[in-house]
Amino acid sequence: MIFETVAKILGEYKDVDPATITRDATFASLGLDSLDTVEIVMSLEDAFGIEIDMEQSLQNVEDLVKLIEAKKA
Amino acid sequence: MIVTEVNRLFGLKYPIIQGGMAWISDGKLAAAVSNAGGLGVISAINEGPEALRREIETCRSLLRDGRLPFAVNIMLMSPLAAAAADIVVEMKVPVVITGAGLPTPYMKKWLAASIQVVPVAPSTGVAKMAARLGACAVVAEGGESGGHVGDLTTMVLTPQVADAVSIPVIAAGGIADGRGVAAALLLGAAGVQCGTCFLPAKECGVHANYKRKILEAKDIDTIVTGKRLGHPVRSLKNAFSRQFADMEYDAAVSDRQIEAFGSGALRRAALDGDVQNGSVMAGQCAAMLHEEKTAEQIIADMFREAQDALSAADRFLSKEEPHA
Repeated sequence: MIFETVAKILGEYKDVDPATITRDATFASLGLDSLDTVEIVMSLEDAFGIEIDMEQSLQNVEDLVKLIEAKKA
Repeated sequence: MIVTEVNRLFGLKYPIIQGGMAWISDGKLAAAVSNAGGLGVISAINEGPEALRREIETCRSLLRDGRLPFAVNIMLMSPLAAAAADIVVEMKVPVVITGAGLPTPYMKKWLAASIQVVPVAPSTGVAKMAARLGACAVVAEGGESGGHVGDLTTMVLTPQVADAVSIPVIAAGGIADGRGVAAALLLGAAGVQCGTCFLPAKECGVHANYKRKILEAKDIDTIVTGKRLGHPVRSLKNAFSRQFADMEYDAAVSDRQIEAFGSGALRRAALDGDVQNGSVMAGQCAAMLHEEKTAEQIIADMFREAQDALSAADRFLSKEEPHA
């Protein structure tokens, strides 16, 4: 469920079909730079009602999903 | 006098912060700026931990009053960042400016040591995150600036950051005279950060060739390279930056080859004075600088002009009916 929401938010941000976004897709491969990542993290915070500290470097979609799972646990 | 939250926050005569310039912003320049009433800044990524300790000591020894504030600028992408993050705590540096990312991993440690943290933000998102982390102010840095740059201009970024956060905003990028300072304040900033305008300072130890290139620069003389690598840099056009740009647009050249070509280029220009084959990083406002002055003259002139500009601004508020 978390992955689906992340994919939906990424899809909206990049204006692409969420179905094309895979767990192992890197931000670089999605054409997202560090400033985009900050925007996406803020959207995800709103969507999940959590605060995400960007403590560790986020490389791919799976990193984000794991981070949110840990926060929600 | 121009007095804002930034004067009060750091205890400054003028609300101006000197930009952290790698290989250039040393203890001597930082002390000169702080002695002149601004916030002097030492770059943490010059040589290594020992050099940083030495520069902090030099700065302290040159301050005319031990209570004057100064700062260390830590470029977070640098491999030297983690060591610098500990040194500022150990040596009780009062203010830390961070660049290239968010200082999340270090914030707890710095706030516990009562360090005032001022991240540089190239977007409203980064500014908001910085405020949430406990930053006391944020630098909104537009792409007119020198060295590592973002896309947004100071004109567009400053008011949006001022709207996005409740902490004081310091505008940077393209500010080299009093008109720029006045404009920054009207855009919602409470102070300015200037790097390029201190390059020709008498107390700035950058190579004389570098200073000469800055003073000779015209409006169209800077170029942004390195977009392909994800960290664009503004510098003066020369043999080095032109070849960098050519390599960047050549699909046959690998990213690694470009990285290797750029490695050590700033040091070559700033320390060795090779301004043909080195990177002469500078903001667009280099063209607005015409003479070598002391840091004190640079700041005093800038703020006198700013005060004149602001005092004269009510001439635009006419009682006449507008022309139809």
